[in-house]
Amino acid sequence: MTPSRTAFAAILGKDLRAELRTLQSLPAMALFAVTSFVIFRFGLNRTSLSGSLAAGVLWATLLFAAVLGINRLFVAEREEGGFDAIRLAPIDRSVLFTAKVAALIIYLAALEVIAVPIFAVFFLNSAAALPPLIVVLLLADIGLASAGTLISSMAVNSRARDLLVPLVLLPLVVPLMIAATAATEPLMLLGGVSYHRFGTWLMVLGLYDLIFALLGYAVFDFLLED
Amino acid sequence: MGADPSMYGKGLRPLSIATPVAFAITLSLVFFYAPIEADQGFLQKIFYLHVPLAITALCGFIVGGIFAVLHLRRDDPRYDAYSYVSIHISVIYACGALLTGSIWAKGSWGHWWVWNEPTLVSFLIVFLLYATYYPFRYAIEDRQRQARYASVFAITAGAFVPLNFLAVRMSESLVHPRVFATAEGGLPGSMLLTFLCSIASMALLWTTLVKFELSAKSAQGQLKRLRRALDAPTGPPTSRIAPEVH
Amino acid sequence: MVATLYGWIVAAPAIPNDVGGKYVAGAYIVFVLLLLIYVSIMAMKLARIERGLREVAEVAEQRKEDATAGETTPAEVKS
Repeated sequence: MTPSRTAFAAILGKDLRAELRTLQSLPAMALFAVTSFVIFRFGLNRTSLSGSLAAGVLWATLLFAAVLGINRLFVAEREEGGFDAIRLAPIDRSVLFTAKVAALIIYLAALEVIAVPIFAVFFLNSAAALPPLIVVLLLADIGLASAGTLISSMAVNSRARDLLVPLVLLPLVVPLMIAATAATEPLMLLGGVSYHRFGTWLMVLGLYDLIFALLGYAVFDFLLED
Repeated sequence: MGADPSMYGKGLRPLSIATPVAFAITLSLVFFYAPIEADQGFLQKIFYLHVPLAITALCGFIVGGIFAVLHLRRDDPRYDAYSYVSIHISVIYACGALLTGSIWAKGSWGHWWVWNEPTLVSFLIVFLLYATYYPFRYAIEDRQRQARYASVFAITAGAFVPLNFLAVRMSESLVHPRVFATAEGGLPGSMLLTFLCSIASMALLWTTLVKFELSAKSAQGQLKRLRRALDAPTGPPTSRIAPEVH
Repeated sequence: MVATLYGWIVAAPAIPNDVGGKYVAGAYIVFVLLLLIYVSIMAMKLARIERGLREVAEVAEQRKEDATAGETTPAEVKS
């Protein structure tokens, strides 16, 4: 039985290499995010944002951009027999889940490295919100990746798979969004950075991450059955 | 691995007698015994309808999740049917909770919807999630896979419900007064009794409806079985998503 | 005793005709309607099952008749 660490590294490496070579999801996600910012500028008729409005625009955009990437997460496995390979290989099947979650976290982080500074340049008065924002982004990414991988793995085997991911995933990540925006809003206030209930919301994010990561890990075996 | 044929209809008789009796008692208590509340007046009586509907729906969703866990662990298709029907009835209850909540909001706040009432908002999100259960099932063609994925969905959604309530409740700014403030700060004894009776009635009704629907599905399944055994012409096509019960 | 019963009925609160009363009535009516809609859908399902059972019963009886007819007159079948 191949140790899970080796299998994990192998699957993750394969995914990252494939993405770097073909560059399918990442540029699309980043471009989508920046264009969304422009649409929000005109849709809301504002040139600067603060507080809850800023948090909302940022998180809504990140979420929709993430859905683009999540849609494509398992397409390669589906089309090139990756699922069968995992079934046959002498590894713990849940490794596919953890590897995909890790890959998705890396994609989301890459997206944020591009989109968040641009958001700050477009709309924020100061970059003071960014350092604490990194923590929020990280925790939210873990939760988003766990829920997204779970749903994506089921949607890929269905008809209308592009429709299914946003349909089911969006209500599922509402608590995540509530916590993320609530933590971000005080960071972006006009008066200056505030940490109002920051710790509490981080804990809620952590709880969400824990529950969905464990859940996904536990049920993934059943999803891969023939 | 045949199902015990008496399994679905059994217990339906005492349940269907107990349910209207419980409702008769509850409704009498609501309208003749429970005192008129000081703040909201007569309008508060909706509380005895809305909140039990909501609580029963939530418990129903969690029960659906538990059946889904059993389905995956024991690989018994019966549990998929139990899970499906539990979620089905709970979705109807959730609809009722949203409608009655909206009416209550209109009566006391003047708007058909209020965002600062956590129960109502959490409910909306839960309802939206479980509403996707049906297109989700429909999108997966292979029956066995459909059942398995649906169970994963039910488990995920079941875990989601308490998390969602926590997040929505916490997002409430303490400045806004809650619309349905009756639930806060302890109910007087007479109201508590009425409230508990109402929850019991709703739960009994839920169980009755679930058994009822399972029994109907079972009858359909037996009919199909008969048709096949006699090589009789097949009847009208059945649903693509509802699990078959035999 | 009739007097106390009568007194009790007279004292029973009617639905107040103010705003509160209308909404309470509305909410309870919605609940009843949901229940009734469910019952009628299940009734239609039951009717369909009944129809199906009737068809199957006819097929079964027909088969039985054919079987007994076959037993009693085997010679006639051959001619």
